[in-house]
Amino acid sequence: MATQEEALAFRVPQGRYDVTAALDERLRSAARAPGRHDAEPAHPIMAFVAALGGMGMSIRELSEALGLAFAQGPVLGGCHIRLHRPVAVDRSYVIDTRVSALQRKPSRRFGLADHLTLAFEVTDGSDRVCEVELAMVFPGGEAA
Amino acid sequence: MTDDILWSLDDVPADAMAEWCAALNDDNAIHLDRAAAEANGFGPRRVNPGPANLAYLLNALMAAGRGNEIVEIEARFLGNVLEGDRVLVAGTPATPGMEDTRLTLARVTGPGAEDIEPVLQARIGFNGRRPEE
Repeated sequence: MATQEEALAFRVPQGRYDVTAALDERLRSAARAPGRHDAEPAHPIMAFVAALGGMGMSIRELSEALGLAFAQGPVLGGCHIRLHRPVAVDRSYVIDTRVSALQRKPSRRFGLADHLTLAFEVTDGSDRVCEVELAMVFPGGEAA
Repeated sequence: MTDDILWSLDDVPADAMAEWCAALNDDNAIHLDRAAAEANGFGPRRVNPGPANLAYLLNALMAAGRGNEIVEIEARFLGNVLEGDRVLVAGTPATPGMEDTRLTLARVTGPGAEDIEPVLQARIGFNGRRPEE
């Protein structure tokens, strides 16, 4: 596993994410949510989806770059989302990501686990749309 | 759990997990392959992606007409939801003018009122608490 210092210095490439009406409809269906009315923004979960899905590399690639055990099935530990405006459909968003923490800790669920915290800023190219911080828990505490 | 039940789903769909993984650019096998879930200690059913669980919780606010007023979400994931699970969202109904609310997503693990396992707790802030630009 990378040291905390190495993880914080790791540069995640900037990414983009296209929130289409069709994608919003598919995720609403997957979530068993009501359909979108004409002028309505995307389902509010789209802030999270655009951030992680639009990161400049996949979560597997980032995990492997940091020496984390992706094959052991990481799970989400928590998230904090600040929505400055609703995520609109048929818009393209720019995603900037940084690693804000990486720590190995005792885990009630897994015995020992690596905790990775990522911070995302989602903009529409000029204005900030949302900020997302998420904590992922990698069971086992050892790279696969 | 004495809060109102605001939303529920009887059978968490396994086929939707691949849709979530595609949207999230996340090929974590515990969401896609029962053997991988079992090999990693989650049991013989696929594990629902965390954002899907959060979406269920947000559905309760959409049903109350406040989905588009959300400005902040703080969520703690306490456990896993598995394919086929029955889940419910409980909490105080979000009424007009309310600045924030706290909701819980829980798995229903049996027929009794005590057969409830909280898996996600969240505080949701609404308009009026919009973060600083």
